[in-house]
Amino acid sequence: MKQEDNWIFALKEDELSNGEKKPLLIEGNKVLVLKIDGDFFAISNKCPHMECPLSKGTLEQYVIKCPCHDWRFDVREGKFLDAEEIRVPIYETKVMEEGVFIKLSKEGAGK
Amino acid sequence: MKKVVMYTLSTCPWCMRAKKFFREHDIPFEYTDYDKADDRTKEAIKEDCLAHGSEMSFPFVKIDDKVVVGYNPEKYATLLDL
Amino acid sequence: MDDEKRKEQLRTMFSKVVDPLGYKFSTDEELVEFLLEQEVNIEKEKGSPFCPCQGLTGEREHDMKLVCPCIPFHREHYDAMKRCWCGLYVHKDVDDPDSLMQISLKEFLESKNKD
Repeated sequence: MKQEDNWIFALKEDELSNGEKKPLLIEGNKVLVLKIDGDFFAISNKCPHMECPLSKGTLEQYVIKCPCHDWRFDVREGKFLDAEEIRVPIYETKVMEEGVFIKLSKEGAGK
Repeated sequence: MKKVVMYTLSTCPWCMRAKKFFREHDIPFEYTDYDKADDRTKEAIKEDCLAHGSEMSFPFVKIDDKVVVGYNPEKYATLLDL
Repeated sequence: MDDEKRKEQLRTMFSKVVDPLGYKFSTDEELVEFLLEQEVNIEKEKGSPFCPCQGLTGEREHDMKLVCPCIPFHREHYDAMKRCWCGLYVHKDVDDPDSLMQISLKEFLESKNKD
């Protein structure tokens, strides 16, 4: 499979404003796409603690807080702020021709 | 006889073991389950626990004026001169 | 959902959480079963599987730090005991959980300050 084949269309660039997020189901993966300061980020939409949907949490700059038990993650690297060994899976994103694409990693994280 | 008062949780196995320890040594004690207590009792227990060590860990065992937080038979025995 | 099933779900979810922190479920299977059972009941009553051995105050910031596994919020204290407060989790190298004592936060902080 060629490298570019791994990029999957997620949403149109203008669907999200800064500070907004949108949950998507991409090839069976629950993904949360976020836009912060003009950049797009994609993380698994399932909190690694008890699988609550992070899409229902609150976003402050780069930190998303899970709605269930307030676990906080940095969306850039997926680190859990209180113990960085725990991470929410993240996905690469890129913008191409007004579309936001994400690359599902080999680990199949977030399934 | 020293006075033994315990704050416990109804869900906590270490609280059960603490009670068992005192029963097995024939030492009378009073206990209150924090999770089952009424609001006023809860508030009083909370104040007591937080004042002692800023945590809400159980069992909280008072032997006269000494406090042992946690299941610790050796400490109980020392304080009771067993 | 039946309690037994929920218990197993919690076990599966939580083992993934504690593993990267260097912890595992205690080898005292009877204790583990009992504690998970309590957590299932607590979850039904209060909405979250809070620690069965620590008290809730009703303040969200305090109580959320007691949702199992609460290791991330009490890391240094639990690492010193090689177990969490209720003993559901122990360090991976622990084979005899009965040998591990509960050390209160106060004692832990006092011994830490001495070093």
